[in-house]
Order: sequence, then structure tokens, then C-alpha cells
Amino acid sequence: MEFGPILRSMGRNKVRYGLIVAEVALTLAIVANCVNMIGDARREMARPSGFDDNNILSVRSTPFAPAFKEDGYLDAALRKDIEVLKGIPGVHAVSNTRFLPWQGGGSSTTTRVLGSKGEMLRNQVYNADESTFETLGSQLIQGRNFTREEVEADTKRLRDLTNSNRPRGPDGQPIEKISQDIIISRAFAELLFRDGKSLGKSLEDDDGDQYRIVGVIDHFYNPYGWPIHEYVMFFPNYSRSFQGGSSYLLRVDPGKMKTVRPQVEKALLAANAGRNVQLKELTEIKERFQSQSALLVKILSLVIFLLLFVTSLGIVGLTVFSVAERTRQIGTRRALGARRLDILSYFLLENWLVTTMGLVLGVVLAYGLNVALVTRLNGTRMDAGLVILGVALLWIFGLGATYFPARKGAAVAPAVATRNV
Amino acid sequence: MLLHNLRIAWKSLRRNVTLSILIVSGIALGIAVSTTFAAFRHAFSKDPIPQKSDVLRYVRLDSWDPLKPYPGNDPTRPPTQITFRDMQGIMKSTLPVRQSGMFVSNMYVYPDPKVGRPFRELTRLCYSDFFPMFDVPFRYGSGWDRKADAGPDPVVVLSQEMNEKLFGGRNSVGKTVRLADRDFRVVGVLAGWRPNVRFYDLTQNQIATPENIYIPFNLLRPMQIRTNGNTDGWGTSGAPGFEGFLQSETCWIQFWAELPNDKAVSAYRDFLNSYVLEQKKTGRFQRPLNNRLSTVSELMADAGVVPKQATAMLIVSLLFLAVCAVNLVGLLLGKFLARGGEVGVRRALGASRADIFLQHIVECELIAVLGGIVGILLSLGALAGMNAWLKTTMARGDFFKLDLSMILLSVGLSLAAGFIAGVYPAWRTCRLAPAMHLKV
Amino acid sequence: MLSMKKIQKVYRTDLIETHALHNFSIDVRTGEFVAVMGRSGSGKTTFLNIAGLLDTFDEGTYHLDGQDVSRLSDNEMSKIRNQKIGFIFQSFNLIPDLDVFDNIDVPLRYRRLPAAERRERIEKAVRTVGLLSRIHHLPSQLSGGQQQRVAIARVLAGDPRFILADEPTGNLDTMMSREVMDLLEKINEAGTTIVMVTHTPECASRASRQIHLLDGEVVDLNALPSEDADRSSANLASTLH
Repeated sequence: MEFGPILRSMGRNKVRYGLIVAEVALTLAIVANCVNMIGDARREMARPSGFDDNNILSVRSTPFAPAFKEDGYLDAALRKDIEVLKGIPGVHAVSNTRFLPWQGGGSSTTTRVLGSKGEMLRNQVYNADESTFETLGSQLIQGRNFTREEVEADTKRLRDLTNSNRPRGPDGQPIEKISQDIIISRAFAELLFRDGKSLGKSLEDDDGDQYRIVGVIDHFYNPYGWPIHEYVMFFPNYSRSFQGGSSYLLRVDPGKMKTVRPQVEKALLAANAGRNVQLKELTEIKERFQSQSALLVKILSLVIFLLLFVTSLGIVGLTVFSVAERTRQIGTRRALGARRLDILSYFLLENWLVTTMGLVLGVVLAYGLNVALVTRLNGTRMDAGLVILGVALLWIFGLGATYFPARKGAAVAPAVATRNV
Repeated sequence: MLLHNLRIAWKSLRRNVTLSILIVSGIALGIAVSTTFAAFRHAFSKDPIPQKSDVLRYVRLDSWDPLKPYPGNDPTRPPTQITFRDMQGIMKSTLPVRQSGMFVSNMYVYPDPKVGRPFRELTRLCYSDFFPMFDVPFRYGSGWDRKADAGPDPVVVLSQEMNEKLFGGRNSVGKTVRLADRDFRVVGVLAGWRPNVRFYDLTQNQIATPENIYIPFNLLRPMQIRTNGNTDGWGTSGAPGFEGFLQSETCWIQFWAELPNDKAVSAYRDFLNSYVLEQKKTGRFQRPLNNRLSTVSELMADAGVVPKQATAMLIVSLLFLAVCAVNLVGLLLGKFLARGGEVGVRRALGASRADIFLQHIVECELIAVLGGIVGILLSLGALAGMNAWLKTTMARGDFFKLDLSMILLSVGLSLAAGFIAGVYPAWRTCRLAPAMHLKV
Repeated sequence: MLSMKKIQKVYRTDLIETHALHNFSIDVRTGEFVAVMGRSGSGKTTFLNIAGLLDTFDEGTYHLDGQDVSRLSDNEMSKIRNQKIGFIFQSFNLIPDLDVFDNIDVPLRYRRLPAAERRERIEKAVRTVGLLSRIHHLPSQLSGGQQQRVAIARVLAGDPRFILADEPTGNLDTMMSREVMDLLEKINEAGTTIVMVTHTPECASRASRQIHLLDGEVVDLNALPSEDADRSSANLASTLH
């Protein structure tokens, strides 16, 4: 089969073939960019948090009984809660912390290396007790964990500090600084110290208070409004108040979530009824946080599917008309000895040429659209592999969409040539 | 003639039903996708309070850290909220016809034990002007008056849902509700107030429905009510205790003023500038003068209410529609040119080119309108699906709607697509030489 | 009624020029029934297209009903086709998805006639061709002869000055042909000029005058000396068969 006659015949129908070229080009541009967006969203969703996401249950107790307004009562209730929760069969570890992953936020502060006079760096900050890392499933890779005595002592120290009026100097900073031990994430350690060796070094905050790094945990990723997803420091403290209630994380043995969950509220209310209890599995929170991305992925996939459908429709239409127009010509060719395969391959080749022209134009368009998305709507740069994938996809769809109408054309009887219509 | 052409077009579509379904469904998909994404974006971007959007102004003052700008994408922006001290300071102005500082707290509600256990509920603390300023509709009673602001009196306004929950939907004005440690007298019940975007407080959950409970702002001191919203602080921590928090540089209050005209706006701008210059003398406001008096739409733009993905998707969907239109051109061209014989007969019988052109463009528009109708129905389905999704994550199932403007848009898009796609095929058809197609 | 003088029509492609009509002249008087004969390629179709204002020509003049129609715009030609000329085709050329009534209605609509008048004309025309009972049938539900009668009714409803018929019986059997020809004769007797292209001598014999076309030129047998006439007709006969 030669290209010459096909190209010349296409040249006589420039508009009609030009339309399919444009359609294929636009389709490639859209499909490649949609697949790119899907890839971004999926990559973001698949990023590991560093925690045992599937086996963590968040428990929040919000008191309304006035007795909870007293510190001593609160402390005792907290201790009791932890014991009660630990007593539920299937519970692996219990921790009192305000940290709750996958909410899309949390609390943050700014610090810098002590004495560095450098810029203050923002990082996430949460309280932790002696079993927080065990509960999260985080790996301590350097230094030591907090001890229960340390957590209790620091809780008391911080409470006294907030209740007192710290004397301040003329610069607005408290005259007497405090120092606290903290555990940070590896990524934060690497951000602070070029060699990553952070153990024993200290940070300071705006008040001049100091934080001594006593431990480093391996992987930490909690999406945040600002780009500080991997930077965190934990300080030893039990967190509970009448206003804020107290929050616990439970890590259950694998597969035990279904049996543990229904027992939690009953057990806690049995211990103390003057409050409400809310339960949420970390997987639910994560799912909710990611639901927008998940929806995006679904919608974009649907758009790609529909687009390929519409484009195939166009190619089918083109071939149908192209065949109908040439019924007599096909008959004549058949009468002159063309095999069915020759007719079929004529149409397949013709459409392959059209599709390929569209794809060449489409690659240019795809990159153009990508550049616009990257600069205007902070998208990500497109991978060349994706474009190749799109090209392959459209080749397959193009040939598929041509095949069936073309086969009908190939079935035209040679007698058509002699029929006097 | 138009009606007659419509009849011809309808017959022409019925001649080859399969082909017609393919053609119509192609354009229907384009309209469905573009309408859905236009409505998706519109749900975020549409003016939540059009009747007052040009008189409402949101106040921001740059009281932030002299050493570095307020964090965020745009370093020229002041903090999104103001401090308690500054709220007190600027409320002394008599220029706004109405004004209110506000914040949200999480308070315990103690219902009648027969109704249920105590529960926590997001409660908005605001001034009496809040209700008339935002045209909040009331089912029973009304908001409280300025005297209750000054008291402050323990009065409460409930949403329709909360009134349903606590009082079974009956008129509860005059009845008592216990919030935290006090009894509150119900003065009003709202009538299903559901702006699409919670424009008056865009610091959190921008598309959540308004709070279910409202009480006078000034109760915060006697009841020591803490905010449940965002608090942005900088520099050293302040004095301890509740009063220390109130006097600190922490920004946590949203502030709105209603200014009836441009003159009032510029006078109020001057007032804010002179307030800040006054404060500078006491050592506060060390950053350059940077006050913002934003309209609702400016505030929504700053707060990034419209997700960037929504814009990207809208662009993609319009490109999708373009593909469908190109597709339509090809199919129509084939369909029309295959009909050269009929056109020849009509030309021989005296049809002018304009007659033929009109006949075919009407057919294109019929296809487009049919596609538009199917597309609108499809997009209603898609939006219902998205609402169901939103209900699971945001507990609101009425966010995405096809309002009149969206329906008009999609009808307009259909007609435009039909015309753009139809012009060339119709033109080619009417230029067919009549003699060529008569001898069949 | 119809007068063509020295009409020249050339079809050009990249390589060759075909003279479809060459120095072609013809006169048809009002009320005449003229048959135009000739083998394929003789220029019959070209003549028909030009006479029906379906095609333009390169040189010469054409007067129709006293009006010079040689260089008219497309719209003006549409108007004349619509009001003065009636077409009858070999393959009837009814619009397949319109019923009898609507098919006859087509040219009347282009004439922008009011609905009541259109209805009146259509019903009268259908009665004339004897198909009143089939007025809401589709073309596919009619026999060939009935379809051609509908086409004739379409012409009658327009009340043209002049009818162009292109092999009107070409697709019909003898019985039906006769019916159609009877109708045409009746119409002609009522005063309408008819020009009919045909290659069947029986049909041609019904006309009041026969014109022969050969290679784009008129061979007017009546104008030739008798001995030549015999020779040319012999030539013609041999070339026709």
C-alpha cells in the first residue's frame, strides 16, 4: 500500500480529515494532562505517614460535669482512663496526646538552633507521653524515649508556668528561661543540622525558652496547611483540660478494631459518666482527608474515558462516511482484484495517518497545556512516559474505532461496480 | 418557517436513529461535563449575599510581627483576623451603620434530660448587628437588641435545626436553654439560613453551614469563653490567664462593617489609618501601614475559597466540550453531504442558499438543544453524586446546585456549540451545486 | 418562452476541456411540447441543467419567458426556478421522509405562500393526479407511477409557466408510462410549455416537436433538406444503437 494515493485523497477532503486531526490532538493534550493530575493525586494519597494507620483509634473525652474543672480530679481521671483503655482486650498501647494524624492540620510553632541567630523555622509541635511512639508505631532511631516520671514532672511544671505571671525583661522575653527535652523527626533534624547529628543539641523559641533534643524518630508525615509536613517536635506532657477535654490514641492488635471499638465508650462512661466520648478510626480520618483527592481521581478518570469515547465516535463517523462515499469505488477495486484485506488495510492506514498527524500536533498541545497548568495553577511537570502512554492509547483507540466500519467497507460486493444505480 | 424547519430537522433525525443518538450523545456528554464543572466551580465562587455584597466590608489590620510578614502565600497580606484590643478600638467608630466582631466557640449544651445527653455545639459570639447586617432570616422572634449587647444579657438565637433538636420545631421564643454554666433565653429561631459559603468567617470550614447557636459577644469575659477558631500569634507569649489572652497580640476575631456608600468607605478607611497611627505611638503596629477593607468577593479571593483544581477542571471540561464540538462538525458534515440529493431537489424546487443554510443550521441547533437537555439531566445526576459525597465528608447535601444562571449557561453553551459546529457543514451543504445531485 | 442563443458550456479539469454545449441555440414557443433526444454524452443533461437554471454557462444568452436569465445571481435563479419552472425527474426525487402533502408543499413554502393557499393548491393538484386518498402516504408506500404522479402534482401546485421533464418515464413500466404521458399531454393542452428530455421514441412521439442533440449541437431534422435528413437520421440511428 502506498501513502501517495491516500494522502492525495485526504488532500481533497482537508476539512474533514483536519477535524479529526484537531480532535485527536486536543484529546491527547487533555488525556495526558488528566493522567498527570491523577498521578499527582495518587502519589500524594499513597504517601506513608510513618504510623500504623490501620490499627489506630482516636478517642476524645469531652467533660461537662463541673468536677472536671479541678486539676487534681482531671489528673486522676486521666490516669484511670488510660488504665481502663489498656484493660480492653486487643488494645496494644494507649497514649494521651493531642496529636491526631491526617486531619490536614495541627499545631505549629517557630524555633531555631540555639545561638544560631538564623531564621526562625516553622514546625509542627505536639505533646507526647511515654507510650505515644509505641502507639503510633513510630521507630525511635536515635536517643531515648520519654519516661513516665519525666512526663508527669513536666506536666506539673508547665501547668505552674502557665498559671504564673512570668516576669519579663525590657525585650518582652521572660527573664527566667526554661528548658525542656524534646523528640524530633529525622527530616526536621536534617533540616536543622546539615549533618543530621542533632542529639544533645538545643533549639530556642521566641521567648528564648530552650528545647534539648533527646531522641529522633524515623519517618513522620502529617499533611499541614504550610509546607511543614515532615517537621515535628514532641514535648513530654499530659494534655487535658475542662475546655479541651482529653484525647487518646489507641493502637489495637491487627484485626481487632471491630471488637475493640464497641467496648471503648462503655468502658470510659462506666469509669466516669460526666462526659461525652467520640471515637474515630484513623482510617476514617484519613479517608475523609483524602476524599477530595479521591473524588478528583474518579472524576478525571471518567473524563478520560468519556473523551476517548467521544473521539472514537468521531473516528467511527469519519470511517463510516468515508466507506459510504466510496462504496462504488470499493466495488470497482474489488472487481479489479483487490482482496478484502487490501480494502481493510487501506482504511486502517488512512486512519492511522490521520491519527498520527493528530498525535504529533497533540504532543505539542499537551506540553503547552501543561506549561499553562504548571505556571498558573501550580500543577506538576508532565512526565514524557505519560505522553507516550497517551499516544499508544490513542493509536489503539483509533485503530479499534476504524476497524469495524472498515470491515463493513471491505465486505462490499464487487458486483456493486456494475450496478446501475 | 422556523417551526417548519424544526419539523424537517426532527424528521431528519428520525431517519437514522442510531446515528442521531450517537451525534446527540456526543454533544450531550460535552454539555454534561462542562455544566457539571461550571456548577462545581460556581458553588464556590458565587456571591453568597448578592443583595449586600457592595456595602459589607471585612476589616484586616497589620498588627503582625515587625520582623517578618504574616505567613502565607502572599507576604503583603495582613493577618486574616484582628486582635481583641483592636476590635474594641475600632468599634468606637460611628461610621458603619452596622458592625460586629465575632468568633466561634465550642460550648456545651444541656438539653432537657428527656431530650438527650449534654453535647458540644459550635456557637458563634457576635453583636446584635450580625443578624440585620447579613439579612439573616428568622422563623420565630428576632435577634437581640443593642441593650442585650451592652448587658450582656444571656439571650440566644437558635438555628432551625437546633430548634428542631431541642424543642421539636415548636416556637421556642421565651424558653430557656442551658449553655455551659448559664441559662439562656431564646429570642429568635432562624429560618433555614444556608449560604453556600460561610462568607462571614472564612478562616475554617469555608463551605460548612452556619453555626446552630448565637449568643452576645460580650459574654466572653464573664463566662471566659475561648475561641474554637484559628488563633494566630507571634513573638513572645503574653500574660497568663484569660485576660492575658484578651490583651495579647493574638489575632482571632473576624470583624465586619456595613458602609452604605463609597464616601463612608473612604471615611472609614481614613479612620482605620488614623487608629493604627495612634497605636504606633504606643509601640504597637511596627509594620508598614497595611489595612484592608475587603468586599465579600475580595475576601473570598484572598481566602482561596475556589479550589485551584476547580478552575483547572473547568478549563479541562471546556476543552472537552471543544472536542465534542469538533466531533460534531465531522459527523454533521458527513450526514449533510450524504444528503446531497435531497438538497439538489430542494434547490431545483426553488430553495435559495439561505433557505438551505437555515434548514441545516436549525437541524444543528435542534441536535445541540437535545444534547443540552440530556447533558443537563446527566449533570444533575453528577451533581447529586457529588452532593452525596459531600454529605459524607461535610454533612451538607445541598452544596452543588444547578441554579438558573447555570442552566442558562448550559443552554447558551449548547446553542453556541451547535452553531459553531453547524456553520461549516451547513455552509458547505448550501453551496452544493444543485445540478450535480439530481441524476441519481 | 425559451430562447437560447449560441450557448457555450465547457467543463474544465486540470488536463482536459470538454465542450458539453457548443454554439447551442434553441427556441421554444409558448404552449409547445418539445422532446429533446440524443444519446448519452450528447449534452442532454447539460442542456437540461442550464434550461432549468441549475447550472451556469460560459457564453451566449438565455431568455426565459421574455426575461434575460443569462447572468443571474444564485438567489435570483432560485426564485425563477421556484415560480416559473416545474421539474419532473426520472427518479421522481421525492423527499423520502415527507408524505405526499408535505412533498408538494416544499416549493410552495419557498414561495412563502400563506398556509391556507398552500393547502388549497396542494389538494387541487393531488385531486388532478388522482391521489387524494394517498395524501398522507410516504413515498415508500407508493408505486413508481404514483410517485411520479406526486412529482407531477408538485409541479402543478406551483402553476409554472414551463415544465422541464427529464426522462419522466425512465423508471416506469409501459402502463404507468402511458398514464404519466397522458397527464403531461393534458397539462400541455391547458397551456403550459413542456420541454422533455427522453430517449424513447414513443414518448418523443407524443411531443409536438422533436429536437436531436449530437455532441453538444442541435441537429434540427426539420431544417435539413429531405435527402440529407434521411442520411442524418440513419447516422443518428446507428450511433444511438
